[in-house]
Amino acid sequence: MTAGRFALRVIGFALFVAIVVYLPFRISDFRASEFALIGIYFIAILGLNVLTGYTGVISLGHGAFMALGAYTTAILVADHGMRDLWTIPLAGLLAAAAGAAFGLPALRLSGPYLALATFGIAVATPIVIKKFDGLTGGSGGINLFEAEGITGLPEFIVTLPGGKVLSFNDWLYYLTWTFALALFAIAWAIHHSRFGRSLRAIRDNEIAASASGIWLASHKTLAFSISAFYAGVAGSLLAISAFSVQPGAFPVDRSIALLVGLAVGGLGSLAPLAAGAAFLVFLPQWAQDISKAPGVPAVIYGAVLIALMILLPLGVGGLLRRIMGPLTSRLYPRS
Amino acid sequence: MRVLGVIALALAVSTGAASARPTADPGLNSSEIVIGGTVPLSGIAASYASVGRGAEAYFKYVNARGGVNGRKITYKYVDDQYNPAQTVQAVRQLVQQERVFAIFNSLGTEHNLSVRSFLNATKVPQLFVGSGATTFGRDYRRYPYTIGFLPSYIGEGKVYARHIVKTKPNAKIAVLVQNDDYGKDLLAGFKSGLGAKRKNLVAEQSYDALSTDVSSQIARLRSSRATVLLLITTPPFAIRGLVAANRLGWRPQVYVNQVGSATNIMRIVAATANPRIIEGAITLISVKDPLMPRFRSDKGMALYRTIMRQQLPRGDVNDGFHVYSMAVAYTFVEALKKAGRNPTRASLVRAVANLNLRSNPFLLPGVVVKTSSTDHFPLDQGQLQRWSKNQWNPLGKVVSAR
Repeated sequence: MTAGRFALRVIGFALFVAIVVYLPFRISDFRASEFALIGIYFIAILGLNVLTGYTGVISLGHGAFMALGAYTTAILVADHGMRDLWTIPLAGLLAAAAGAAFGLPALRLSGPYLALATFGIAVATPIVIKKFDGLTGGSGGINLFEAEGITGLPEFIVTLPGGKVLSFNDWLYYLTWTFALALFAIAWAIHHSRFGRSLRAIRDNEIAASASGIWLASHKTLAFSISAFYAGVAGSLLAISAFSVQPGAFPVDRSIALLVGLAVGGLGSLAPLAAGAAFLVFLPQWAQDISKAPGVPAVIYGAVLIALMILLPLGVGGLLRRIMGPLTSRLYPRS
Repeated sequence: MRVLGVIALALAVSTGAASARPTADPGLNSSEIVIGGTVPLSGIAASYASVGRGAEAYFKYVNARGGVNGRKITYKYVDDQYNPAQTVQAVRQLVQQERVFAIFNSLGTEHNLSVRSFLNATKVPQLFVGSGATTFGRDYRRYPYTIGFLPSYIGEGKVYARHIVKTKPNAKIAVLVQNDDYGKDLLAGFKSGLGAKRKNLVAEQSYDALSTDVSSQIARLRSSRATVLLLITTPPFAIRGLVAANRLGWRPQVYVNQVGSATNIMRIVAATANPRIIEGAITLISVKDPLMPRFRSDKGMALYRTIMRQQLPRGDVNDGFHVYSMAVAYTFVEALKKAGRNPTRASLVRAVANLNLRSNPFLLPGVVVKTSSTDHFPLDQGQLQRWSKNQWNPLGKVVSAR
């Protein structure tokens, strides 16, 4: 990467951070909670991107790793009195371990077979959670609202020197986006590392990659594990922001939604994935605003998705590359 | 603009404090009261959408007659896709952005549990929860802003148990139960109602709401040689369970819980399987069923049909959820009338806990909606029904389902 290109990236990232920090000053209290949710999806999609976007391995089961992260946080906070913030990395690590454990045997499968195996864990997740109701609270789940370790409650309110009032929705917003930006930076580092290039080599041609000395099994397992880490952190943040977890919060649809967000954002992109996350939060609402008649919101959702995929086959990221490509290529030579 | 935003924020976060003052509650002005709730409009449980639409139709009917104390009722129901995580987000939107006065008629056990603490902490009424889970009526000291509506599942389970003990004291009993809080609650009530006859319960099989087939469970229940089968199931699983039992040639005395026993469901069973499988089946109901011939000339059902025709012409008149939701909406309107000319959230909650309504047109004759400061179960009566000649027929008097 040339110095000019790197500088451009740093400026871009700084701009992204500035927008994230400033946004709550412009939007309503409730919107902040929606953008917090976008941050959570953004994290999960960034993780899925490491697996699907770079390595070319499709997972239909990332909702399961989110569930694992969410339950790790809920159980540690509700039953062991831990502070919610400390449970976030733990939730990520546990999900990463589970991802590695699942990845080792499952990655012997390839293509659609692996996708089906991951689909299997997504289907089983809510039922397994209900099975262990002593630990997980069964179908009613775990309520965190009255737990000691929860930092931001609806009473949370801070007045900044400028007169801006920070509500608990703003707190959730900054919490999730702090993690989102940190994990974004890590994803960016992975993208530009030797490891990231190896993953993309695996995606493009496994045989060629392996002939060049890339050990497929370890790379794929590590990619699976990293991606599960992201999902675990996202799940943990979801539990904190909802003050509760239930098995019903992790249906198969959730795993599929992440893949939809990734496709809309653009496989292999980074910052545009935030658009995919926003799509997941806002499109169902817009569809409902248009009509609540039976079946209509689902049809609108489907139609918009189809139209979007036809118009933007490479997602928002692909569109941005097409627009920006001619501009940036004048700034520095493509190598 | 910025200043306005800050003021709005300050208001939003101080809703708790505001409810202590008599006139400052959100969602209310001299011409309108805005309430909200969550209902699945899409996803696996989309058939429950009628619970939102029927209530909306009733409010429109009331509004067309001038509303309550000159205020029109606006009911904003949002889709939560039957996913509790979506319920949390949707309820926050209703409370913090739409600024609703109260949450009303939200559907689902886990879904209401996921927001109960939040609503009580912010002192927003959570009224007539669409779930019979006992906790919503029982734990009012801890959650004073929450109240249920349906007879508690525990109470319903006891009614079936008492009937079996009385009519077939030595029958072996098998149960098919949904493996969530609803199923567990009803089964617990059933077991406690069996009392000394508990040993007659010889087989129990559970299924997951996300599964699609219960025939292996039914086969196992049948192998227990039970002669009574209790279905603690939602409509699709009541149908599948009975069809599977029929396929095996099993002819137990069937009991179906209220959630899964609507006439249109039973008729699907009669049409797909042998009608004899459900001949003599027993259920408990509290709400009038639109397909019951004995209500053909009933005044309440005439009102129901009029409202459906005028306000929801494209809705299915035979869908019992529409009647149920109008029964809930009727109760809300009556409570609102009692909450004073200028109701507050607190006065509405007091009114809701002080009801004695004998004439809800959508409930079975003789069923009274009654609450007090120590009784947060509005509907705790029902009447057993026996299935014969392709319809439900009353069996005995209105009984208590506590």
